[in-house]
Amino acid sequence: MSETIEGLSLSDKFLAQYSSRIDSLSQGNTDFRILREKAISAFSKIGFPSKKHEEYRYLNLDSFLNHQSLFLNETDQTVLDTQLFNHSLILQDAYRIVLIDGVFSNTFSDLSALLQNIEISSLADAIQNNNSSALAHLGTLANVELDPFIASNTLAFSDGLFCNVSENTKLDKPIQIVHIQTSSHLTHTRVLFVAEKSSQCLVVQTFLSAGNSGVVLNNVVSEILVEESAQVDWTTFQAEEQSAGLMNTTEAHVKQAGIFKTVTITLGADLVRNNLNIVLAAPNCEAHLYGYYHPIHNQVFDNHTLVDHRFPRCESNELYKGVIDNKATAIFNGKVYVRKDAQKTNAYQSNKNILLSDEATINTKPQLEIYADDVKCSHGSSTGILDPEQVFYLRSRGISLDKARSLLLTAYASEIVEQIPHASLRESVAQLISERI
Amino acid sequence: MLYVTFAGLFRTVLNKPLILNNMLSIRNLFAGIEDKEILKGFNLEVKAGEVHAIMGPNGSGKSTLASVLAGREEYQVRSGEIIFEGKDLLEMPPEDRAREGIFLAFQYPVEIPGVSITNFLKTAIAEQREYKGLPPIEPKEFLQMMKEKKAIVEIDTNLTNRSVNEGFSGGEKKRNEIFQMAMLDPKLSILDETDSGLDIDALRVVANGVTHLKTPNNACIVITHYQRLLDYIVPDFVHVMYEGRIVKSGGKELALELEEKGYDWIKKELAI
Repeated sequence: MSETIEGLSLSDKFLAQYSSRIDSLSQGNTDFRILREKAISAFSKIGFPSKKHEEYRYLNLDSFLNHQSLFLNETDQTVLDTQLFNHSLILQDAYRIVLIDGVFSNTFSDLSALLQNIEISSLADAIQNNNSSALAHLGTLANVELDPFIASNTLAFSDGLFCNVSENTKLDKPIQIVHIQTSSHLTHTRVLFVAEKSSQCLVVQTFLSAGNSGVVLNNVVSEILVEESAQVDWTTFQAEEQSAGLMNTTEAHVKQAGIFKTVTITLGADLVRNNLNIVLAAPNCEAHLYGYYHPIHNQVFDNHTLVDHRFPRCESNELYKGVIDNKATAIFNGKVYVRKDAQKTNAYQSNKNILLSDEATINTKPQLEIYADDVKCSHGSSTGILDPEQVFYLRSRGISLDKARSLLLTAYASEIVEQIPHASLRESVAQLISERI
Repeated sequence: MLYVTFAGLFRTVLNKPLILNNMLSIRNLFAGIEDKEILKGFNLEVKAGEVHAIMGPNGSGKSTLASVLAGREEYQVRSGEIIFEGKDLLEMPPEDRAREGIFLAFQYPVEIPGVSITNFLKTAIAEQREYKGLPPIEPKEFLQMMKEKKAIVEIDTNLTNRSVNEGFSGGEKKRNEIFQMAMLDPKLSILDETDSGLDIDALRVVANGVTHLKTPNNACIVITHYQRLLDYIVPDFVHVMYEGRIVKSGGKELALELEEKGYDWIKKELAI
C-alpha cells in the first residue's frame, strides 16, 4: 500500500487511505454510506487547502499537513492522567462528556443523574443503533462541498458525540464537552447537537491536550440545530498545549425565535482555526457571537465567522476582541449576509485588536453584504496599541507600568469574559487571561 | 534677623540648603516636545504649606510644566533640574513620582472602560503603600476611607462602581480627580486647569475639596487661566508665566490685577 501511494499529493494519500475503507467506515448503514461517499467525492475535488484557497489564504497549514504521523488514524484510548480533570476549566457540576482523540470515552464521561429527556451518547453508537434524530440530522448542516475540513471530517471521523435535548427541556446544569488530544496524529471529531423546540441549555466545550508529543491536528466539526424557540449557549475554550493544531468548524442553524449564543476564548495550541457559521434559518431568531483571542510567541489564531440572515426580523450581534503579542498572528474574517428576504434585520459586527509587539500581526476583514433594503447593520474593525494616555493616567497614580498594562488588558478582555453565562467559569477564564497578561 | 542669619549659617554647614526648607525646587528648566522648546529657563520654589498659582496666557507653557512634573514621557527635558523632597524627580518614572507624593489633577482625564474607580484606587493605594514599605490597607479601612473622601467632593456613591471617567460629565471628571487626590493624600498636588469647563457650582465643590485637603504639610500648584478659581483656593503666591518662564510673581492681589488688566498689561510692563 505505502509503495503504491508514493509520489501522490497529501490529499491523494489521505483520500486513498479512507476510500479503501469505505465499507467498514459506513458501519453497514446505507444513509451513512451515502454521506461518506459524498464527502469523498467533495474532498477529491477540493483537497487540503493551500494558500491559494481563498478562505485559507492567511493560514499556513503546511507544517501540520506535511507531518507524516497525520496518517496514522488508529485511535487508542490511552490511560489518562486524571489530574487533567482538576484543570480550572473543568466544571465539577456538569454533565461531563470526554472525547479522547475524537472518541467518546465511557470511562471518563460522567452522565450520572442525567435527565430522562436528554440523550447523550457516542456518535458511532447512535449511528450503529439507527438513532432517528442522529441519522436525520447528521451531515445536513455541515455541507461537505463548502469546506475541505468539513469534507475530510465527514469522510474520516470514526466517533464523536451525539446529543439531543428534548422539547421543553431546561437543563439543570451545563453540558461540558472535554476534547482531549493525547496522540500525535490527525484526528477527526464529530459533534451533533440537537436542541428541540423550546429547550434551553448551556454547553461548555473545552479543548485540552495531555502529554502528546509531535505535531497534532484535531479536525472537529460540530453541527448544532437550534429548533423553534430553543436557546443554546455554546461556550468554547481552547487551551491546548503547544504543538497542537485545531481546526474547529461549527455549523449552526437557528429556527423560528431560537437564540444561539457563542463565546469563544482562544488561548492555547500553536494553530487554531475556528470556522463559525450560523444560519438564521427562520424569522425572529437571534445569534450572538463573542470571541477573545490572545496569541503569544508564534501562535496563530484564526477566526472565520459567517452569519447568514435568510429571513426577516432576525438579529445578530458580534464582537471579537484580540490581543496579539510577540511574533504571534491573528486573523479575523467576519462575514454577514443579509439576504433579499431578510427585511427588518439588525446585524452588528465589530472586531477590535491590540498589538503588543512590533512583530505581532493581525489580518482583519469584516465583510457585510446586504441584499435587503430595510435593515439596520453596522460593522467595523479597529487595531491599535494600548492607549498611552490611559497607561500614563494609571502610572501617574502610582501604578507600575506592568500593572497598568495588566489592568487595561484585563478590562479589555472583560467585555467578552462577562458574556460567559456561568459564574465560576467566568472567574477561571478571567484568571487564565490575567496569567497570560 | 539674627535668627535668619543663624539659620542661613546652619544650612551652609549642612551644604544641603534647600532640602530642609523647600519641598520642590525647579531650577533653570528647559523642556519641550519633539523639536519645540516650551519651557525656557523656568524656576520655582515651593515650600510645604504653600499654595502657588501659575497663571498665563494660552501657550505660555503652563500645562507643559504640569506634564513634565508628572513625568509624561513625550516631553524631553534638555537642561535644568527638579528636586522634590531632596530627590531628583527627573530620574523617576511617573509611578515613582506619584509614590513619592506628587499628584497631577488632569486637565482632560482619560476614560478607562472596564476599570472601576474602586479597583483602580485599590490598586494605586496598594502599590503606593508597598513602595513606602507599609502593610496593605485593610478592606474595611479602605471602604471607610472611600466613604469619607467621597463626601469631601460630594461624589455619588454609585460613581465609584463605574469605570474610571467613562461617560462622566465634565464636572464629574474633575470631581473624580479631586476625589483621587483625597484618597492618595499627596504632598504636592498640581491642578492643571481644574476649573476649565466647570460651571460655578461644580467649581465651588472642587475648590472646597482642595481647600479642605490643605494642611501645613502639603503644597499645591494651581495652574489656571482665570482668576475665578482663586476666589475659592486662595494662593500664597501668584506667578505669571509667559513664553516658558515666570515673568512676574506676587501675592494673591496679582491675580486680581491680571483679571482686571489682562495679560497684555504684563507684556507691556515687562516690555516683551
